[in-house]
Amino acid sequence: MSEELLVVGKRLPRWQAHAKATGAAKYTVDIKLTGMLVGKVLASQYPHARIKKIDKSKAEKLPGVEAVITWDDVPQKLYNPSKLDLILRHPEGELKDMYVISEKARFVGDRIAAVAAIDASTAEEALKLIKVEYEVLPAVFDPIEAMKPGAPRVHEFAQNNISLHIDFPVAWGDVEKGFQEADVVVEETFRTAKNHICQIEPCACVASFDADGRLTVWSPSQHVFLHRRKLAELFDMPEGMIRWITPHIGGAFGKYGSFGVEPICVALAKKAGKPVKLEYSREEDLFGTEARQRYIATGKIGVNKDGTITALQEKLIVDGGAYFTHNSSTTGVNMGSFVGLYRCPNVAAEADCVYTNVPPTGGVRGYGNHEGTCVLEQLVDLTAKKIGIDPIELRLKNIKHAGDPSNTGLPMETCTLEECIHLGMEKIGWKEKRARKKGNGTKRYGIGMAIMMDVSGAQPFNIQSTNAYIKFSEDGSANLIVGAADIGQNLMGTLSQIAAETLGIHYEDIHIVTGDTDSSMFDSGQHASRSCYQIGNAVIMAAREAKKQLLERAAIKLGVAADELDAKNRRIYVKADPQKWVSVDEVTKEAIYNFEGEHLNISGKGSFSPTQNPPPFAVVFAEVEVDTETGEVKLLNVLYVNDSGRAINPATLEGQLEGAIAQSMGYTLTEDYFINKETGALESDNFNTYKIPSALDMPETEVVLYEEQPVPSGPLGAKGGAQGAMVAITPAIANAIYDAVGVFITDMPATPEKILEALKRKKATN
Amino acid sequence: MRVLKPFEYFEPGTVAQAVRLLLSYGDKAKVLAGGVDLIPRMRQRKVTPEYVVNIQRIAGLDYIRGNGSKGLRFGALTTLHSLELSPRIQKDYTVLYEAVHHIASVQVKTMGTAVGNLCVATPASDVATALIALGAEVKIVSVTGERTIPIENFFVGVGQTILEPGQIVTEVLLPDLPARTGGAFLKLVRTAADIAKVNVAVNLRVTSNKCEDVKIVLGSVAPTVFRAIKAEKVLGGQKPDPEVIKAAAEAAATQAKPITDLRSTAEYRRETTEVLVRRALERALEGAKA
Amino acid sequence: MRKEIAKFIINSRPYELLVEPNITLVELLREQLDLTGTKCACGVGECGSCTILVDGKPTLSCSTLALAIRGKDILTIEGLAQGTTLHPIQQAFIDCGAIQCGFCTPGMILMAKALLDENPNPTREEVKEGLGGNLCRCTGYVKIIDAVLAAAETMRKGAS
Repeated sequence: MSEELLVVGKRLPRWQAHAKATGAAKYTVDIKLTGMLVGKVLASQYPHARIKKIDKSKAEKLPGVEAVITWDDVPQKLYNPSKLDLILRHPEGELKDMYVISEKARFVGDRIAAVAAIDASTAEEALKLIKVEYEVLPAVFDPIEAMKPGAPRVHEFAQNNISLHIDFPVAWGDVEKGFQEADVVVEETFRTAKNHICQIEPCACVASFDADGRLTVWSPSQHVFLHRRKLAELFDMPEGMIRWITPHIGGAFGKYGSFGVEPICVALAKKAGKPVKLEYSREEDLFGTEARQRYIATGKIGVNKDGTITALQEKLIVDGGAYFTHNSSTTGVNMGSFVGLYRCPNVAAEADCVYTNVPPTGGVRGYGNHEGTCVLEQLVDLTAKKIGIDPIELRLKNIKHAGDPSNTGLPMETCTLEECIHLGMEKIGWKEKRARKKGNGTKRYGIGMAIMMDVSGAQPFNIQSTNAYIKFSEDGSANLIVGAADIGQNLMGTLSQIAAETLGIHYEDIHIVTGDTDSSMFDSGQHASRSCYQIGNAVIMAAREAKKQLLERAAIKLGVAADELDAKNRRIYVKADPQKWVSVDEVTKEAIYNFEGEHLNISGKGSFSPTQNPPPFAVVFAEVEVDTETGEVKLLNVLYVNDSGRAINPATLEGQLEGAIAQSMGYTLTEDYFINKETGALESDNFNTYKIPSALDMPETEVVLYEEQPVPSGPLGAKGGAQGAMVAITPAIANAIYDAVGVFITDMPATPEKILEALKRKKATN
Repeated sequence: MRVLKPFEYFEPGTVAQAVRLLLSYGDKAKVLAGGVDLIPRMRQRKVTPEYVVNIQRIAGLDYIRGNGSKGLRFGALTTLHSLELSPRIQKDYTVLYEAVHHIASVQVKTMGTAVGNLCVATPASDVATALIALGAEVKIVSVTGERTIPIENFFVGVGQTILEPGQIVTEVLLPDLPARTGGAFLKLVRTAADIAKVNVAVNLRVTSNKCEDVKIVLGSVAPTVFRAIKAEKVLGGQKPDPEVIKAAAEAAATQAKPITDLRSTAEYRRETTEVLVRRALERALEGAKA
Repeated sequence: MRKEIAKFIINSRPYELLVEPNITLVELLREQLDLTGTKCACGVGECGSCTILVDGKPTLSCSTLALAIRGKDILTIEGLAQGTTLHPIQQAFIDCGAIQCGFCTPGMILMAKALLDENPNPTREEVKEGLGGNLCRCTGYVKIIDAVLAAAETMRKGAS
């Protein structure tokens, strides 16, 4: 765009920033309804047990208890808590293996019963009065053990606990031939981390049936329409009898692509006939909501001596936990990312998804791309070392370019990996720093890097449709109505900037209506970094339609043709003679309060279903210092070079990338999901045991937004950015450790204990 | 939400009243000072006291004052943050300063008291590790009187002190440290705001190029914080040569009895005990010579 | 368990409330007084979301009994702005992009106030140390630290 942008590209305050800064913003946990009951869940203390009998009579008789539910009281329907089965072109892989309340305990924390009572202490008392007779069964916590014959069977249908075998459906070429042709083949097995996203607001839901039997649900859902349909199916209700509202959301990061506690909360509200609020404690959130899959990933790469990749293959064992949820989708993305990042003539991948008696996993930030690229990018550095070329040189030999298919298979309008690599190399001083002598000191410096491509939605695999509606008020301000939720990513501010820019009004003139299925039209939800790109496009369409009406009405007032006009800065003006103008509010008011029989509430509607999927690109450099006597890794500096086409709000985008640096640092170095091998209980069940980074742990960071190639199909050139932001950071840190001390931790997180162990082994073999 | 179980609550105005209450309710009572340890543990049902005795309203327990030529004293309600800000402690008791300063949460330091920390008796206490290295004592008051004991004798097991029902710690006494004394505190953590995997405090004096009054204190590697006496004996009376320092550090590691838990492994803790003791001794010696 | 009538001063307003000993300050604020700006995200004093100021001192309200702070001067996030005029720290958080989901924000802002009240001219490192007890999952802390330093400058200029 050669024209100067007035609103887009500016660091404007985010939507509802004032409310958040003053404590006025209401989250699900803050909601209070008259007569609202407190819901609590009875969790299994066994990792694997049959439920022989439940006696809830004493609990029901306790004064103040209004409902006690067990498996008999909930819909007898198996479901998958993710939304994927509703929108996938091929949903066969989305296994439905969960009930609202479990019929068998499959992990410590599995839902066995629930109560709704007048207050929390009564609810807690009631839980204690529920008598459950368990038949304790042997449990299995490791996927390799789970696949052995004779292992305890978590779900009846899954032989050897394999829920699904996946052969990567769009493999190409002939990997066997590719490996034979290669000069060097490198194969390595990695265990990625089971890590919890730890959004700060604990999982919660409020559910209320009104006198007509219409249900309102408040929760931090990322997919209000899809979850509404799922809930409708579960509870045999028409969708129109459910209203879903998202209050402010205290972090989601993809986790609320699954249900949180809505089904069980609704079941309680239904039984009690009163509104119910179910709020998880931090402990319940950590064992009761979905974490990342742990992958045992064997990656194999074949290269020629000059560095050209001839073959890529990935074999996965997916430790999916006790229920299936997103296992096939994240695994699919994992495989697609592994084989799709670089040019390669021969690729294949396969996976076995496995059940274990541990808390379930789901889809969170990165959604398989994180784990797939992490393995691939470490493999690339290993390979570079083996054939003796610089790891960036090896990457440059194989990276994709504009026109190549992305990791979704769709052709890329732009590909700026090469430009971002050079920009980053220059900025960080790659050559000099890589050339530094390691020395013999206790502390060793290392620098590493990694690249990635992510997505701007899940096309062509899923329905990705979305709608936006804009209507003007007489004062020249406009409501922007979208079915999306702001999950803290300032989607609403971003869309407001796009709308204001297109309409020619100010940022403050946009009043958002969001996250309410009653007032907005369908949106596919917040996932796969789709929202800015796809909803942004719908917003532009809506804005253009509204603008057309504005210009037509203004044309009459100004006595010119509509195509002679444009709108900027709250004014509609004649392009050839900008001194001739009329204000937007004059036009909107006269259209509404119209005495000439030409009433019009100026508005516009946009409906968008994407055909492209432009990937955001990232190149990340990390510098570390490893203490060889303690194995400690000090992360010194992270440089993040990002291409999101155009940053609609640079502060918003930078902030998300900086947040991803913190999350990746935790994933790579400190966050460990610790299951007690005797009891199956989660020991890392609060922030004192599961350690996420604080300000004191942060390295120096620099984020560079590369905006030289806005993507044509994007709204004002923008595409996705932050969903995949962790993807390249983790391998960059791992590669930096490799540079510093020559060890790869093949079992994340790369704790000092593991590094010290690896250093000792390395010393012994030398 | 009412996350805490019901209890009877007292706010005694004097130490005498407090100890009388604690004596009558025995094991069913808990002392509340800062609350940063007690309230979370009550919420998690790790302790369920029927009586909570809040000593925060007792006057005259929040102080840091010189003890004439005998060093420094601070009271039971002196917060960790007050200790951190004290110029005297920063200058003369750097080991304690370092231990407190590296506690990450300002809120915890503002609310939490050093005495409270000691009475929780976690084997990973940074404060205890530092205070034992400095030769500190606690004054214990009961209905029958008072006595003073070295903090190194205060702990008897994980979360257990020698305190009997009806006894309360009112004061910590730090001895005057002679010239040419140096000390250091080091710890290993997963993140900055975590309980230590291993923590180490050393204090020593160098006279005529010989190490005297050596204290090597280990935390997180045994049921209580303890002095590694064998290691101290290796270094005591010796010239501070690198070989002696290494030998002392190795001796300290042999005295460690670490466990494997979600923070670390026994093996790692044992190995890094040697590293931390060695580094702490080197730092302490630099300080002593300065 | 004895209930007591206790006097509180919250955001400069006096309250007289019937309070049981086992109610924590965060419960009193959020449930009894509908002051939901103060959050509770872990219940073990680790995340700092429940931070409020008691006589100017940063305090974890999840780890404080309500009765223990009666008579003291309590400041919650709702009491920080003067009418419609935001405190410089609140304004800086907005201007610097230091707020994302916003759940940690009230505790973070009040902790920043306590920090700047004690040290009006902190270095970047001192700001990090001051915020060591406040967890954020969205921002990576970078713009939060920027905001605190920007607010410090504004406040120093205002004071002179």
